[in-house]
Amino acid sequence: MAQAGVIAAAPAAVPHREATVFRIRLVTVICLLVAWEGLAALGSLEILYGDVIPSSWKIVFAIWNEITAADFYRDLGITFAEHIVGFIVGSAIGLALGIAMGVNPLLRKAIEPYLNAIGSTPKIIFLPILFLIFGTGIDSKMAKGALSAFFPVVFSTALGMILINPVLLRVGKSFNLNQWQTVIKIYIPAMVNPVITGLRLGMAITVIGVLVAELKFADGGLGYRLGNYYEQFRIAEMYAIILIIFALAALANMGMTRLQTYANRHQGGSAAHSLSVATN
Amino acid sequence: MTGSFKLSKSPVLVGGIGVAVFLCVLEIAVETGMVMELVVPRPSDTFLAFPPVQEDMDLVGNFFVTLGMTAASTGIALAIGVPFGYFLYRNRRYGVAYEGWLAAAFAAPTVLLYPLFLVIFGRTYLTLIMMGFIPGAIPIVIQTRQGLLGVSQTLLNVGRSFNVSEREMFWKIQLPSAVPTIFTGIRIGVMYTLVNIVAIEYLIDFGGLGRIVSEMYFRFDTPGTYASIVAVILVSVFFYWGFGRIEKWLRPV
Amino acid sequence: MASILEISEVSKTYDVDGENPVQALDRVTLDVAEGEFVSVIGPSGCGKSTLFNIVGGLIAQYEGSVRIDGHAVDGAHSDVGVVFQEESTFPWRTTLDNVAFPLEVQGLAKADREERARKFVSLVGLEGFENHYPAQLSGGMKQRTAVARTLAYEPRIMLLDEPFGALDEQTRMLLGDKMLEIWSALNQTMLLITHNITEAVQLSDRVVVMSFRPGKIKEVIEIDLPRPRSSEVISTPKFGEYVGRLWTLLREEASRGMVEAEAELAAR
Repeated sequence: MAQAGVIAAAPAAVPHREATVFRIRLVTVICLLVAWEGLAALGSLEILYGDVIPSSWKIVFAIWNEITAADFYRDLGITFAEHIVGFIVGSAIGLALGIAMGVNPLLRKAIEPYLNAIGSTPKIIFLPILFLIFGTGIDSKMAKGALSAFFPVVFSTALGMILINPVLLRVGKSFNLNQWQTVIKIYIPAMVNPVITGLRLGMAITVIGVLVAELKFADGGLGYRLGNYYEQFRIAEMYAIILIIFALAALANMGMTRLQTYANRHQGGSAAHSLSVATN
Repeated sequence: MTGSFKLSKSPVLVGGIGVAVFLCVLEIAVETGMVMELVVPRPSDTFLAFPPVQEDMDLVGNFFVTLGMTAASTGIALAIGVPFGYFLYRNRRYGVAYEGWLAAAFAAPTVLLYPLFLVIFGRTYLTLIMMGFIPGAIPIVIQTRQGLLGVSQTLLNVGRSFNVSEREMFWKIQLPSAVPTIFTGIRIGVMYTLVNIVAIEYLIDFGGLGRIVSEMYFRFDTPGTYASIVAVILVSVFFYWGFGRIEKWLRPV
Repeated sequence: MASILEISEVSKTYDVDGENPVQALDRVTLDVAEGEFVSVIGPSGCGKSTLFNIVGGLIAQYEGSVRIDGHAVDGAHSDVGVVFQEESTFPWRTTLDNVAFPLEVQGLAKADREERARKFVSLVGLEGFENHYPAQLSGGMKQRTAVARTLAYEPRIMLLDEPFGALDEQTRMLLGDKMLEIWSALNQTMLLITHNITEAVQLSDRVVVMSFRPGKIKEVIEIDLPRPRSSEVISTPKFGEYVGRLWTLLREEASRGMVEAEAELAAR
């Protein structure tokens, strides 16, 4: 197939470009830090609202205090438990329903508008209902987690089922595969990628969902900690918790992306890097 | 699946009947005390709660408050996001350098920043607008750059074969090509902005619709709570559907 | 007849990652007279698109010279129009606006542009579809739009890179007839790249056969079939002979290409 796209594009000398990219990132980080310290200095001189921008050292110190505090780990454990349970329950239901929707087009078309409606709504708005049903304890956060995890998983799974190349199914039929073999040899390999994408998104969204629920009503968990620091006007600690949460979320996401790249190793090209309509 | 074959041809009907059946069952369950009224109200009560909630809390007015802030955030997100996305496209190295950060920022729980913004900006509309702006701007930046990068080489070649100037190349070929992708970014941005603003309204008891949901819950007004939640659902659906339609209109392009 | 296009000892080597340079073209020399219809045929990988891009001014670095009317080619030339193989219509413009594009770039006033664009739209047989968008047109119609757009540029030389490659054979043959009609009406010089032997013989005055990489001219065959020609010529015995000759020449190159492609894949 002739390629009309072969134009003057000289292949960039890779090492040189990577060095520049690194330089840009480094310089950006340094500039941001300097700007931050500048603002912090203004703060300590009482030009900016008191302690709103604490110096980086204070934040580093606060992070250290957090990760060496016993009750931090208690709260981390609580949030983690809420997240895991919610994620597992929500994903399981999402997977089951997604597969059912893939197998039964009538079900899919009947349910789809309602799923889209709830899916596009900020799930946080359902917290009052969850609080009414489960109380304000740990159960409600798990339920919120399940609610958050459910949507990306169900959408991803249903989509994955629909997008299975029909040719592949016909190939299976032509080789007289029975139901079970079709599932194992065609459906499952084809579904690995969409399902992992859904789980990856679900995991990230469940983090937000659980934390936000803790911010409203809780007596434990990282979100609860953050809320407390806010009420006590302990700004550096607030930054510390937020940074720790962001870091943990980024790590989890990286882990899932690695998993996805591994699962896709035969396909060539990077794993799903698309901005699909993630729900909240 | 056997069943009336007419029914299977009409999923909308099946869905509608399903919902109706569910609501009836719920109504009966609450009526007979199987489900506690304080936890889940009768659907009929929820429906009837709308007029008093509107009267009391001005649902419609507050809808416009939320809408207004969403619009303001989106406006700022566009004003900053599109040029920045263009900058990242023009300067390849910066684009590559920040690509990973932007993707990470997109997935990050930005809503958690609200206590900080509360401290900095206070309990004001500005806080809400800024909190809406951040999750809205990121997809716009990403998609603007993507859209411009993704212009088909063939179309660029067409331009070159007609000796088109660089300016014309941008305005007549690259930008029109990129518009559908950029609009996807806008759609995602608007949804995220709306969701974040409503969420924070709920969390800090300030602003439009989100505040009303929180307020109703505080007053132990269960039907009112459910009614205001339904209102939020309707608003979200409207936005989701509306922007989806616009995107589809741009896409066959 | 004067040569409008003089390709002289043109070579092009691609430097992929600075390691294994790939020589796409090796001292290609060809003169094309004004008003001629010349086809260039060869296996995939013979460099025909590279040659095409060089003549069209889309590739800047190469050895040798390409002259149009005696002037060296330096970037896109106003005497050369290009029709690409892929879908190249602007999806956001109607048929009419697509065809009017080069006129717009040249700065013509709206009324003028539309009038002239309409002429070319009907020349390719798309009257009635002026206000359709490419998404509403078939593949063949989109390519016709691309052809009309290039015609509106009024170049003396038209370069067509397998424009009908993606279409089914029957549509292709009918469009081939259309091209001949347009050619006799406007009298441009046509340079067609194709991998389709039947198409080459059906349309051309001369067929240039290229070898597999590095691309050289293997042979040039004069097609001595009567003009005006229509697709019915394919039923004549002489047509079959030409096709046979060309296939004999091509076959060796094509199978060499296949063997090398497979070897490359196996090496990965």
